[in-house]
Amino acid sequence: MKLETNARLPDVLLTIQATLLTNTTDATVCGCYISDLLSDVLAHAKPGMLWVTVQVHRNVVSVAATKDIPAVLFTCGRKPDASVIVEAEEEGIALLATPLTTYEVAGKLWQAGVHE
Amino acid sequence: MASAGDARKITIAQVLVYELRVRDAMSHPPFTALPSDSLRTIQQLMKQHKISGVPIQLGSKLLGIISIEDIITALDEGHIDDLAEKWMARRVITIRDHFSLVRAVAEFERHGFGRFPVVDSADRLVGVLTRGDITNCLMHQLEKRAEEAIAFEAASLAARTSDELSRRIVIRAQVRTGDYDSAGKVSQRLRQVLRERGIDPDVRRRAAIVVYEAETNIIIHSLGGEITVAIDPDKVVVDAVDAGPGIEDINQAMQEGWSTAGRLPRELGFGAGMGLPNMKKCSDVFEIKSSNGQKTFVHSEVFLRKVTGTP
Repeated sequence: MKLETNARLPDVLLTIQATLLTNTTDATVCGCYISDLLSDVLAHAKPGMLWVTVQVHRNVVSVAATKDIPAVLFTCGRKPDASVIVEAEEEGIALLATPLTTYEVAGKLWQAGVHE
Repeated sequence: MASAGDARKITIAQVLVYELRVRDAMSHPPFTALPSDSLRTIQQLMKQHKISGVPIQLGSKLLGIISIEDIITALDEGHIDDLAEKWMARRVITIRDHFSLVRAVAEFERHGFGRFPVVDSADRLVGVLTRGDITNCLMHQLEKRAEEAIAFEAASLAARTSDELSRRIVIRAQVRTGDYDSAGKVSQRLRQVLRERGIDPDVRRRAAIVVYEAETNIIIHSLGGEITVAIDPDKVVVDAVDAGPGIEDINQAMQEGWSTAGRLPRELGFGAGMGLPNMKKCSDVFEIKSSNGQKTFVHSEVFLRKVTGTP
């Protein structure tokens, strides 16, 4: 399993014990950004990145769509409402959930070679 | 065919036989012979030009007509070397060049001839008309009309598309205070339009961020307001106005991390204190007017450019 930049989502899923919430068939992420503040993501995340957050409100989808973020990972076992998942599917954004904490996710991704 | 029930429905072919004239369909100039030409000469003329009837004329005067039936009879009875004037039909029925084709068809029905010499209003011979000429003319015209219709459709489609892409689109929306579920609705519509118009993704994201932050600012901090997004081919102009309560210190509000957001918006991930700085950073033109107890006006412009390679 290789996980560098341009990592495919299925590889990411295994590394961080994540389950896919949306009906996404294929998505590619390039790097990672961690923040729970929406405006901070708008300001500093790069398009194409995986966004890791504990926020599960529908605004996460709006922000991801605005910033062309293809995948969002919810940590600490948090999961969004079904309506948020539907909205993400309409926008073509993959939603993922993991029981790990944000810190654990960051560590595992870094270990797997995602260094940006 | 149109039946009595739908008498108003007429086909394009039916229209054409009324619109088209004999002069549009006839073969011209006509191949003619002299009364002193032999039937054999006329037979060769028919063979050479693949025609079935030759008007006989002297000067400008139409004297008669020799048809292919006359030639067959002459070959059969052995007078193929006789002169035309001996065997030509002298009572020639002509039709006028300005007659409609529907009238010409009626004349063919009435007389049972295979061809008519065509004369103009001064009785000069100008052509020959056969049933085959009428069919060919109709087919040709139908083809032409069909091609014109296709070209017209393509042109109007192209015009409509380019018109839609250059049209100014204005999105105006009321934004209610505390309506966190609606945040991003205007920005989503803007993104759609900019994507359709082939705008550079980086520029599209900047414009969408400006609008998203404007929406959330009104939701979080104001008593409600309105946001107007005008999308022109070359720029997006955003005007956000709220009903107050105004910003006490704009310089402070423009600093990253400074926020007055309450507990609920902060729990939802708002209130990072980056809304206004983000808007300014993403705008090509940015203005804000506000003071304590007043309405807040935010004006932003983002200049658009297309992805390289799109028209």
